[in-house]
Amino acid sequence: MLFYYIKLAIYSLKRTPLLSFLMISTISIGIAATMITYTVSYMMNKDPIPSKSERLFTVHLSTWGIDNMYRMRDGKEEIPVFVTYQDAMNLYNAQKAPKQTIIGSYKAMTRSSEQPVKDATSTYIRSTTYEFFEMFNTPFIYGSGWSASEDEEGAQVVILSKKRNEKLFGGQNSIGKEVLIGGILHRVVGVFDDWPLIPRFYLEEFDALTEVRDMFVPFRTQMNNEWVASKDSSIYCWGEFELSDFHSVINSECVWLYFWIELESAEHRDEYLDFVNNYAQEQRLLGRFQREQMNRVLDVNESINHSNVMGDDSKVAVWLAAAFLFACLLNSMSLMMTKFHGKGGEVGLRRAIGASRQDIALQFGLETFIVGLLGGIIGLGLANLGLLVTAEVYSHLNAELMKMNIEIVITTLLLSIVTSTLFGLYPIYRACKIEPSSQLKSL
Amino acid sequence: MLKMRGVAKSFITDTVKTQALHPFDLEIQQGEFVAVVGPSGSGKTTFLNIAGLLEEHTEGQYFLDEKETTGLSDKFKSSLRNQKIGFIFQSFNLIPELNLFDNVEMPLRYRDFSAKERSERVLNALEQVGLAGRKSHYPQQLSGGQQQRVAIARALAGSPSFLLADEPTGNLDSKMAEGIMSLLKDINKQGTSILMVTHDMDQAQQASRIVEIRDGYLNEQKVAKTA
Ligand SMILES: Nc1ncnc2c1ncn2[C@@H]1O[C@H](COP(=O)(O)OP(=O)(O)O)[C@@H](O)[C@H]1O
Ligand SMILES: [Mg+2]
Repeated sequence: MLFYYIKLAIYSLKRTPLLSFLMISTISIGIAATMITYTVSYMMNKDPIPSKSERLFTVHLSTWGIDNMYRMRDGKEEIPVFVTYQDAMNLYNAQKAPKQTIIGSYKAMTRSSEQPVKDATSTYIRSTTYEFFEMFNTPFIYGSGWSASEDEEGAQVVILSKKRNEKLFGGQNSIGKEVLIGGILHRVVGVFDDWPLIPRFYLEEFDALTEVRDMFVPFRTQMNNEWVASKDSSIYCWGEFELSDFHSVINSECVWLYFWIELESAEHRDEYLDFVNNYAQEQRLLGRFQREQMNRVLDVNESINHSNVMGDDSKVAVWLAAAFLFACLLNSMSLMMTKFHGKGGEVGLRRAIGASRQDIALQFGLETFIVGLLGGIIGLGLANLGLLVTAEVYSHLNAELMKMNIEIVITTLLLSIVTSTLFGLYPIYRACKIEPSSQLKSL
Repeated sequence: MLKMRGVAKSFITDTVKTQALHPFDLEIQQGEFVAVVGPSGSGKTTFLNIAGLLEEHTEGQYFLDEKETTGLSDKFKSSLRNQKIGFIFQSFNLIPELNLFDNVEMPLRYRDFSAKERSERVLNALEQVGLAGRKSHYPQQLSGGQQQRVAIARALAGSPSFLLADEPTGNLDSKMAEGIMSLLKDINKQGTSILMVTHDMDQAQQASRIVEIRDGYLNEQKVAKTA
């Protein structure tokens, strides 16, 4: 019987090609628009590191001056997401958490030692401590992170992104090769594998949607070379400071470093916060930390919410797209009404020769199902096309944002089938209400 | 086979009550060929619809093969229509996107027949109306008379106990109409009862019995047997 209805549905769709085309394309366009926005927001919102998101924390400190508030947000005082060099070092050296890391940034001209000087490119570099790679589950194709001792002595070592390794060394195993960073030789100790982390939660706001940086070096090495990120990345200051002077910056109240810790479990958070508050009290006695203390320890998801990676815009976009889908479905519903209205004679006839209301409902239900399925399949194609274009336009963003996973593919098909069938219910109900005698009488 | 006791039908639309059929008694035996005549608007189609379980009567009792039909569920009535009754309409009512085979097969699909049995029945029915060779054709490719033959084949395919025909030749020219009449008579000879509404007195005379409806009143007429 099912095959019979499928056959009837296909004949019926072929019978009115324009109407069928309009129904299917209306649904597929609505589905595509919704799924494009949904995919991006889903990718932004999913837990980037489910195995650990509850025990990785970032530390925010109230270091601003008594007369200088950092800034207001939503009518409340805000404290920075970055910490000063002094605080980063103090917290790091205290080793209160099983693992902790400092994350910094700078920019320099780089090339491989085999390349001529003119081929050097300006590169954003990430500086950090050796714990980083284990804390954030960094994948390597070659080598690994540098060692604790290399970290401590500020060794001239570098880790390359997969992309940069392809560019500099043709994707070969480049461990032991040399790279010049700001004119100083660094030895390659590791090459990352693809690392599609969305969002890149250890960074804030906009940076969280970018791809991994091309070069990582030890934080101590950066400091030894007296490189600070002044013009090249976020740095916020108050009090006395001279951005062009390295020693001034590291002794100032300028904040520019992320500080992350990994605890054994989420329950240890309060303990760590107590430690941070105690530290703040000590510093207060030395004349720092004069404002009301709002220090906090945020886990991964709290941190993502706080820096509003997702952005209200993209939430609005999903709602708008859903509203658009709704309009498309209403449209397709009216097309279905037209379609089924034209089949009044057939319904009357089928009823007369023995079809029950259920039989009619099943026949038309299957037709809407097929319309929904086709709409979903075509919508899926359109959505992927749309995502490709979006990825092209926003090429600075992580390309993984614009890729559907299997769950989204299935969701798309289901959404299309369920919604179009749902919106088909009324037309189907109307068709079932046609009396077996009505259509035949007037003829 | 078909027994009506005090059956009547009234339509109520916006406070206006139309008595389409006044109470009447009627009995039809297996094998009869009954013609229903009368001026238009007198209630012939309404009567046929009640007999065919397409419409509910508002008074009285209607027994089909000894079984009371008043108040049966939609599902049950649908299956009674499917198994006991074959319908033939003035405007053929074939589905344009289905070929002749699929059109004739339609009622069999609402019944538990195997594919093989369905196919045999369809081919037999098409054979009976002389169109077996055209099972893959579509309705639009046929003349009016041929289309009505397909409709008759569709009505026959499920081997019903009786056929209901509402002015089956109303849309046909006289030559085609004659062909349809003789086909219906053949079918009747083979044992299927027929209840046929017609305007044509000549056709009515060929029936074994004539029932006249006038302003909703049903009366038996004598058949002037002209052999
Ligand atoms: N569904 C209906 N609602 C209201 N009145 C109806 C309905 N069907 C038929 N009638 C009325 O019942 C009467 C008989 O109609 P009908 O059986 O179609 O006559 P005939 O087939 O003899 O031409 C007419 O007056 C018609 O207007
Ligand atoms: Mg009539």
